[in-house]
Amino acid sequence: MAGLSFDNHQRNQFLSAKGFGSPKATSTGTTIVGVKFEGGVVIAADTRATSGPIVADKNCEKLHRLSPTIWCAGAGTAADTEMVTQLIGSNLELHAMSTERKPRVVTALTMLKQHLFKYQGHIGAYLIVGGVDPTGAHLFSIHAHGSTDIGFYQSLGSGSLAAMAVLESNWKEGLTKEEAMKLCTEAIEAGIWNDLGSGSNVDLCVMEVGKDAQLYRNYLKPNVREAKVKSYKFARGTTAVLKESIYNLVDIEETVVPMEVDTEA
Amino acid sequence: MSNPASINGGSAVAMVGKDCVAIACDLRLGNQSLGVANNFEKVFQFGHVFLGLTGLATDVITLNETFRFKTNLYKMREERDIEPETFANLVSTSLYEKRFGPYFVGPIVAGINSKTNQPFICSFDSIGCIDYSKDFAVVGTASDQLYGMCEGLYEPNLSPDDLFETISQALLNANDRDALSGWGAAVYIITKDKISKRYLKSRQD
Amino acid sequence: MSVTSAVSSDYNSGVSNVPIEHQFNPYSDNGGTVLGIAGEDFAILAGDTRHTTGYSINSRYEPKVFSVGDELLITANGFAADGDALVKRFRNQLKWYHFDHKKNLTIKSAARFIQHLLYGKRFFPYYVHTIIAGLDEEGKGAVYSFDPVGSYEREQCRAGGGAASLIMPFLDNQVNFKNQMDPDSNGTAKKELKYLKLDEVISLVRDAFSSATERHINVGDGLEILIVTKDGVRTEYYPLKKD
Repeated sequence: MAGLSFDNHQRNQFLSAKGFGSPKATSTGTTIVGVKFEGGVVIAADTRATSGPIVADKNCEKLHRLSPTIWCAGAGTAADTEMVTQLIGSNLELHAMSTERKPRVVTALTMLKQHLFKYQGHIGAYLIVGGVDPTGAHLFSIHAHGSTDIGFYQSLGSGSLAAMAVLESNWKEGLTKEEAMKLCTEAIEAGIWNDLGSGSNVDLCVMEVGKDAQLYRNYLKPNVREAKVKSYKFARGTTAVLKESIYNLVDIEETVVPMEVDTEA
Repeated sequence: MSNPASINGGSAVAMVGKDCVAIACDLRLGNQSLGVANNFEKVFQFGHVFLGLTGLATDVITLNETFRFKTNLYKMREERDIEPETFANLVSTSLYEKRFGPYFVGPIVAGINSKTNQPFICSFDSIGCIDYSKDFAVVGTASDQLYGMCEGLYEPNLSPDDLFETISQALLNANDRDALSGWGAAVYIITKDKISKRYLKSRQD
Repeated sequence: MSVTSAVSSDYNSGVSNVPIEHQFNPYSDNGGTVLGIAGEDFAILAGDTRHTTGYSINSRYEPKVFSVGDELLITANGFAADGDALVKRFRNQLKWYHFDHKKNLTIKSAARFIQHLLYGKRFFPYYVHTIIAGLDEEGKGAVYSFDPVGSYEREQCRAGGGAASLIMPFLDNQVNFKNQMDPDSNGTAKKELKYLKLDEVISLVRDAFSSATERHINVGDGLEILIVTKDGVRTEYYPLKKD
C-alpha cells in the first residue's frame, strides 16, 4: 500500500505508443513570491489554477503549511505541490517529535530537496519556503530537480518575471513587516494582471520570529465577478424527464427487548 | 482526441444549491466516434456520498470497485458511513498513488455532510489534485462546454427543484455540443433526507 | 552521404541517428473570442479586445470586429496577422466592387466572395474563424460563419475563437431555446421559438463574455459589440475583467 505504485505504467506506455498521449494535469500557472523583513518573512501567492487555457479553480490555496511556523508556496503541477508538501509536513512533525525540538526551515528545505532530487524532476513542484525557527527567519526557493536558492526576496511560477520586476525595483534593505506585506502583494498583483497563468486573489502568510504564522487568506480580492445582466433561472418543467425515482432517507431505530423466558418449564 | 481519457467519452457535473447538491452525468459509452452503449452511468453512490467518474471506461469501472471496497472497509472500521470531505481525500490519495502511471479519469464528488448538513462538492484531475468548489464542478470530454454553461446559468441558493432545471439544462446543452457525450442523462438531486434520480429526455445523435 | 548526425553532449550521452530538422512555424494563436447573433431586423457581431501570445498580453484594446461599409460587419479570429490580412483584402476588394458596379455589396455576395478569398489559400490557409454579420435583402438580420478554408453557412448565431466551446452551447440554449420545453406541456412540446429583442441580445452577449472571461485565460479586458440596424452601424463597449 505504502508509496507510489507503478501498476499502470506498462499499460500507459502501450497506450502512448498507440498514439494516445497523456491527459493534462492541473497546473498552477501561478505567481508566488517571498520577502524577508526585520524579524520575519512573508510569502504570497495568487489563487488561479489552470488546465491548458481553462481556469480550473478560481480561488485555490497555493500556500501550504509545513509546520506552524514554516509555510511554503507552490507552483507547477498542482497535485505534486500539494502532496509533496503534505508528505514533508508530516515527516517534519515526526522529526520534531523524535528530536524534541521545534522544526527548522533548513530541515524542511533539505527534506524537500532530497525528495525532489530523488525523483529527478518528475515531481513537478516549484516551491518557495519561508519560516521562522530558533535560528531566525529564513527564505528559500526550490526547483523540481532539487536545486535550491537563498535570498532576501524570491519569485517563482509563470508570473515570476512580472513579480520579480516589482521586487527588483522596490525592494530595499531593512523592510518593516507592513512594507514587506505591501511589496509581496504588489508583486503578486503584477502577476495577476500581466500573466495569463495567474489571476483572481492574493493569499499572504506572515511569519514573525517567536510567533505562530498568520495566514491572510484572500488578503486582496481585486477580481470579484460583477453581477450578471440577466437571471437564467428556468421555469419548473422546462426539462423533459423520462423517469423519476425517489429515495427517502429514514433513520432506522433498532431496540432490543429482552424476552421473558420461563426457565422452570 | 489522442488522449486515453477521451476514447470512451462522457461528462459529469455537480452543483450546490440551498441545503442541497446535484450531480449528473451522460449515459454514453463509445469507442472513439462509434456509440457502443446508452446505459453507461457514471455516477456512483457510497453511503450518502456520490462520485461522478468520467474518462477511460475500464478505469471508471476499476476505480468504482476500488472505492466500493475501500468505503466498505472504512464503514466496518469506523462503524459509520464515510463523509464527503473524507471521501474526497480518499479519492485524492488513491489517484496520487498512481502518480507515474495514472488512471485516466476525471472524478467529481458531491454530497451533504451528515454531521454539519453542509453541502460539499469538488472535482479532481487524473492525478488527484482536489479542486474545491462552492458553486459547481465539471469533468469529462464536454468540460469546456460545461464550464461555459455553468458559468452562464448558475446562481447560488437555488431550491432543489430549481437546481434540477439548472443542472439539467447545463448538462444537456453542453452534451449536444460534444460528439463524445450524450445519449441520455441521469440527474441526482440530493437533500438531507431525500434523494431523487431522474433520467432526462435528450437528443440521441 | 547520409543526412544523419550524432548528437551528444555533457548532458546527453544518447547518440541519435535521426536528422535534425529545423522548421519555421508561420502560425501563432492570438487568443480572443468572437460572437455573432442575427435578430429579426438587426444583427450584432461582438468580440473581446484582448490580444495575446502564450501567457502574455500584447494589448488590452485591439479591436478585431470591423465595420467595413455597406452595413457589413466582419471579424476573423485566430491568428491576428491572417485576420488583419483577410479583412484588409476584403475592404480593398469591396472598394473595387463599388468602382466597378456602383452599388452596395449584399451580405449574401460578401459571404460567397469571402469563401473565395479563403479557399484561394487552400494549401496555406488563413488561420482564422471568420464571421460576418449584416442585414439581408429583406432587411432581416444575417450571420454567416466560415471555417479556415471557406466552408460557410448562414446561421442565427455563432461563436468563434478560443472560448467558442464555452459560449456556443449557452447560445443554443438561450437564443434557439435548445432542450427547453414548454413548462405547461409536461415535457411534450418544445418551447416556442421567438426572435429576441436587441436589448435582450446585448445582455445575453455581455453575460456570455463575462462567463467566458471567468474560465478562459485568453478572454478579457474589454468587450466591443457592433450593431447593424436599418439605421446603420453602432458600437458599444463594456469593460471585462483584466486578470
